[in-house]
Amino acid sequence: MCNLPIKVVCRANAEYMSPSGKVPFIHVGNQVVSELGPIVQFVKAKGHSLSDGLDEVQKAEMKAYMELVNNMLLTAELYLQWCDDATVGEITLARYGSPYPWPLNHILAYQKQWEVKRKMKAIGWGNKTLDQVLEDVDQCCQALSQRLGTQPYFFNKHLNIWKFTVHVLSKSGLENFEHYFTIMPTELDALVFGHLYTILTTQMTNDELSEKVKNYSNLLAFCRRIEQHYFGKGSSSIRLS
Amino acid sequence: MAAPLELSCWGGGWGLPSVHSDSLVVMAYAKFSGAPLKVNVIDNTWRGSRGDVPVLTTEDNTISQPAKILNFLRKQKYNADYELSAKQGADTLAYIALLEEKLLPAVLHTFWVESDNYFTVTKPWFASRMPFPLSLILPGRMSKGALNRILLTRGEPPLYHLREVEARIYRDAKECLNLLSNRLGTSQFFFGDMPSTLDAYVFGFLAPLYKVRFPKVQLQEHLKQLSNLCRFCDDILNSYFRLSLGGISPAGQETVDANLQKLTQLVNKESNLIEKMDDNLRQSPQLPPRKLPTLKLTPAEEESNSLQRLSP
Repeated sequence: MCNLPIKVVCRANAEYMSPSGKVPFIHVGNQVVSELGPIVQFVKAKGHSLSDGLDEVQKAEMKAYMELVNNMLLTAELYLQWCDDATVGEITLARYGSPYPWPLNHILAYQKQWEVKRKMKAIGWGNKTLDQVLEDVDQCCQALSQRLGTQPYFFNKHLNIWKFTVHVLSKSGLENFEHYFTIMPTELDALVFGHLYTILTTQMTNDELSEKVKNYSNLLAFCRRIEQHYFGKGSSSIRLS
Repeated sequence: MAAPLELSCWGGGWGLPSVHSDSLVVMAYAKFSGAPLKVNVIDNTWRGSRGDVPVLTTEDNTISQPAKILNFLRKQKYNADYELSAKQGADTLAYIALLEEKLLPAVLHTFWVESDNYFTVTKPWFASRMPFPLSLILPGRMSKGALNRILLTRGEPPLYHLREVEARIYRDAKECLNLLSNRLGTSQFFFGDMPSTLDAYVFGFLAPLYKVRFPKVQLQEHLKQLSNLCRFCDDILNSYFRLSLGGISPAGQETVDANLQKLTQLVNKESNLIEKMDDNLRQSPQLPPRKLPTLKLTPAEEESNSLQRLSP
């Protein structure tokens, strides 16, 4: 969305290469920055930002929605992958351990599962059933869907500072104020797209999670639009069952 | 006729109805939505559970976490969010998530992990409200739970060092407080003139931070600089909880006033009598004390009588 030239590289030991233990991370020159928040700030320091045109209240809202996505969607994804026995047995353990030889694949997978379960317990999700988790996801999607409404992106009125300043300096009257606003995506759009797209296109043993998301047609349209616009795919890889 | 709803929660202090964030959230929501709750404060008897506080007991079941309790109250038609639009409801969820992710770790740290605060304020307060053997074990366990939560959600595996995390969580908390202050602006509540779920959550998290007296107070100082958030907490305390600094309820306030009046009258009477005695002392010549008939009088009157010249 910022038009930055990146090369995506897949590595099995990505988690260990990252300074904070979390993926994704970017490697620029001799700097390594991990996780969305710091990466956004790093990119902003280099002069590219998607949220400059937002006012204070909108920035607060954006941060709040990003936390909502992290809190609910991310935790639900982790839960489904690591705490739901059916999925764990069939898909996750095999997938996580696949780059390594035996017995390392088993050991690393079980270690990761133990870590995730410990975290779930600490934040109070340890006793949740799958149905409760799905209900939380539904609530989160409902909130996102209501916030998005019929707009193309979550925040639509970005004040185009350049156009505005030029106009003010040229001392012409402020006739058409709408002229100064542009429609642009922000970090929130990127984050929501990332999570929803993954949920919609990853095959799991039960599709209930993706079904919950598919209930909201404006979220589906949102994902397709970003996929086609920014990833240039002719046809969408989001299936409708 | 609604079944009686009983809420067990931690008690209050420093002008607050409860010192525990989750309990305060539920109490505030109940006040806002008009739910009739009977509040049972946990004390150091063996009655009641201390596990998952706050706990709502109805005739049929017990419900334990604040989110679930609020859901239950809404289903019973005690809904404080009736007037909100769909978008405002969505905003509520988002802001609550922001509070839990950014502010809660620092609040937990200030109360339970920072050793000065924990050993001088938090541990004695909670230990005094638990029966003897539990008071040695349970505060320690709550502290460990808080530390765990902070490290696992914000720490960096595999070492999980606290010091690296401390700076970050306080920075995030200050940013969160600034965001809340910006969002509140000059309005009385977050969504217009009526308080809602979000107001209950913000109040529950901010009020203990604002009012409890700690030795190490960097987050509290930051909060005090945001005057609209302080005004928000004080408004809710004054309008919905009606607590004076001593923590007395309105019915109690009247008896206190009556007692105060009686006391003032007595003191005035005493001071009048003392003035009279003083005058008499100056006026009367130095006579040897005479034997007076024993009278059944109050001590004050006896005293004044013994100084007057009585004719036997």
